[in-house]
Amino acid sequence: MVALKKEEMQSLAEDTVSLALKKGANEAEAFTYQGLTTSVSIERGQIAKSSRVVDQGLGLRTIINRAVGFSYTNILDDKAAIEETVLRGLSAAKASKPDENWHSLAEKKAFSSMEGTYDKKIVQLRAEDLVRVTSVMLDAAGKDKRVFPNEGGAGASYLSAAVANSHGVSGFDDGTVIECGLATIGRQGSEVTSECLEFNIERTYNIDPEWVGREAARLAVSALNAKKVDTKSTSIVLTQFALQQLLAYTLINAVKADFVQRNQSALKGKVGEKVASDMVTIYDDGLLKNGLHTWSFDGEGVPQQKTPIIAKGVLRNFVYDNYTAKKEGKESTGNAARAGYLSTPSVEATNFHLMPGNESPEDLVGEVKEGLLVYYLQGAHSSNPASGEFSVVATPAWKIKNGGIDHAAKGTMLAGNVFQLLKNISALANNERKIGQLVAPWVLVENVKVIGK
Amino acid sequence: MKDILIKVVDMASQKLGAEYAEVRAQRLFKTALTVKERDIEAARQGIESGAALRVLVDGAWGFASVGSLKAEALTDAISVACKMAKTASSSLKTPIKLAPAKSIEDKVINKPRRDPSKISVEDKIGMTTALSNTILGYDKRVKSCTVDYLDTTGTTYFMNSDGTYIEQDKLYVWERVAATANEADIFTFSREEVGSTSGYEVFDVETPEAIGEKVAKRAVEQLKAKPTRGGTFPVVLGPSVLGVFVHEAFGHLAEADLTLSGSVLLNKLGKKIASDVVTFYDDGTIEGAFGSYKYDDEGVPAQKTLLVKDGVVAGLMHSRETAVKFNAELTGNMRAEDFRVEPIIRMRNTYMQPRDRSFEELLEKIKFGYYFKSFRGGQANLDGTFQVGIQEGYEILNGEIGEPVRDASISGNTLETLLKVEAAGKDFELSSGRCGKGQTAFEGDGGPHVRVKEVVVGGSA
Repeated sequence: MVALKKEEMQSLAEDTVSLALKKGANEAEAFTYQGLTTSVSIERGQIAKSSRVVDQGLGLRTIINRAVGFSYTNILDDKAAIEETVLRGLSAAKASKPDENWHSLAEKKAFSSMEGTYDKKIVQLRAEDLVRVTSVMLDAAGKDKRVFPNEGGAGASYLSAAVANSHGVSGFDDGTVIECGLATIGRQGSEVTSECLEFNIERTYNIDPEWVGREAARLAVSALNAKKVDTKSTSIVLTQFALQQLLAYTLINAVKADFVQRNQSALKGKVGEKVASDMVTIYDDGLLKNGLHTWSFDGEGVPQQKTPIIAKGVLRNFVYDNYTAKKEGKESTGNAARAGYLSTPSVEATNFHLMPGNESPEDLVGEVKEGLLVYYLQGAHSSNPASGEFSVVATPAWKIKNGGIDHAAKGTMLAGNVFQLLKNISALANNERKIGQLVAPWVLVENVKVIGK
Repeated sequence: MKDILIKVVDMASQKLGAEYAEVRAQRLFKTALTVKERDIEAARQGIESGAALRVLVDGAWGFASVGSLKAEALTDAISVACKMAKTASSSLKTPIKLAPAKSIEDKVINKPRRDPSKISVEDKIGMTTALSNTILGYDKRVKSCTVDYLDTTGTTYFMNSDGTYIEQDKLYVWERVAATANEADIFTFSREEVGSTSGYEVFDVETPEAIGEKVAKRAVEQLKAKPTRGGTFPVVLGPSVLGVFVHEAFGHLAEADLTLSGSVLLNKLGKKIASDVVTFYDDGTIEGAFGSYKYDDEGVPAQKTLLVKDGVVAGLMHSRETAVKFNAELTGNMRAEDFRVEPIIRMRNTYMQPRDRSFEELLEKIKFGYYFKSFRGGQANLDGTFQVGIQEGYEILNGEIGEPVRDASISGNTLETLLKVEAAGKDFELSSGRCGKGQTAFEGDGGPHVRVKEVVVGGSA
């Protein structure tokens, strides 16, 4: 299927808005999206699969008497299907009840400019190129019999979106993503490690498959010979993976305006208060250079921006979409996210940027007399999202003794409260990287309950 | 539709060198609702159609997905899929082979008593807002509630180069309810899911009032719960906690693709891994259950698959690809979320068979331990470690249920834990849920109450 061009996507959005108004909507907003992805996958140690997925569609919000309806379709080449989508949206709005907090769709504002979100080279990549990337990664993982390169691969995507609404908002943006990753398993005798994942994901062609392969293999070997650790409160070093898992269901939700407005945030009413250690400064930066969530506008056509969240431990702002902002008489911070054309916009962080410190990761570990280096967590999604209480498995993780890695730890749980943990951060490394929404370095946290033997 | 699919499959096998080819075309209709507190967020209605094309060329897989059902788009896509497969085969060491499957021609028509596609959006809004009203009206300490509702209807048209052609209706209704309560510094959270493949009539049983009260009551009662003491303790698990343990901790290890990846079940077929009371099934044939269907997305009939019998590993869940490697019978476990993705091995309704104990008998020998009644999520790893979060738990003191505890979790090594399952109840309950393995699949899990001799309990006190 041929990719839709900028003009086609934008006029489809604009025309659908006009049609919805003509059919009786008071306000309307259309979002067109396309994703073209080529990927190559490893299946049990060898490249065994390649795929090409084309996904295009249109999502439409229609408002009648302050009641909102939404409809979507992926049938774009048929005028009747678009018209039926408009009618379904209107019928959904008519079936809904007026929302007294509904003010209006977003107004027109100048879009932001950003850097490093599109790379022509990625658009031109073919499956053959991705087979090469994947082979480099597999070769770099080496021949150590203890390391099994279980799954992984490489993928290249071109994404584009257009938005238009009845207040004159109209925009188009496109971008690229490239990734490669390898998940290994360490095996020795009857011992099997958990999956050890390493990957690169970038907006421009800036990946290092050789490093990914080497690291994934190194992790698997070092996770072997795992022993139980003692139950006690100790210092822990969290890598970005572990930190992302902990924060995704707790802190990141707690700063979203809808969670705050609905009394689901432990941070409600705490703007201006100390909520984290002095070392902690966080921005929600929708314009971060090369950021995975960097776009010129959000899912409602509001320009993305850089919003201070926590400055030196003090809570500064929450993040808003158009609806939650207008409810408080504020401006949207450009944080309306969409799952392509399939969903209505919802408040979501963009690039959640925890500012790095000055120390090398080795120095961070070097500060710890006795503790744990935690790579991944299991079960973070079962944290109490409202209170921040967590009780999770740390695997793989390594015992730190006198500033060095002593041995891999098995059967280890961490328990505590994320908001307390933020106050106990005592150092930040200088090795920031992007994982999901989080952009962060390794962090050192004091006094975390470790449950072992 | 059939004529187009024949043309596309023939083209792959006759002109493009495919050893195997399949097309899965779909038309889907969805209605989704979200109610936050008493307000309905945008009611959502979707129409989707598209096709997934999967081929085997020179022993490697090629896959293409396209959002169209037009002949031209499908013939383009099958060429792309074959080209992708050829590219992937360039460094192949072990070519992929498929177990033989019977060719089937069938048409599966759903006859729900209440067809969700014929129920008005107004009625669905009425049902979900009745639910939120029940929750918010239960107690003033209940501060928020979110109700998500989804129904999917439509048809899948499947054809492969082995002569199978199946038209199969799809029907799912699902609802998730979550509430929070708050008093002083304590925040609690409670959730439930309801799912069915039979029809909208599921809400005649799982009424808004019944579900609402269950969720609200739990959130409020958790307010007075005390923090859980961490350590190793004997526990009694309720059917929903056991279910998520069977699914997450054991089930994934028995998905043959993950077994081959080196899960701790590799080389364990025929071996004793659990106590005598443990018998597990993965069953795709339970009528109306959330994980049930007649044919999987490789056109294989869904089976009732015995995984563990009296503590001994009896079978795994297979695709045509993995069945060859294990020389096993086909089980019909291959599912794809929709036409955008390829099928992978998924669980259906996974459960432990009940035994003969009463609930009191399970508790009676425990001096101090926990009764974990309801879960908040779970996760496991190939190395056999698992974690299950608990949203409703109680202390057990001298064989009796004691005070409620909050924010607990259990974890440990699956195989070690299975050997410590001492006794199982005579009750049985199946819950509906969703499982993420890159794609989302609807599934069921459950079993009876069980007593486990000891397990690591994570808590904050």
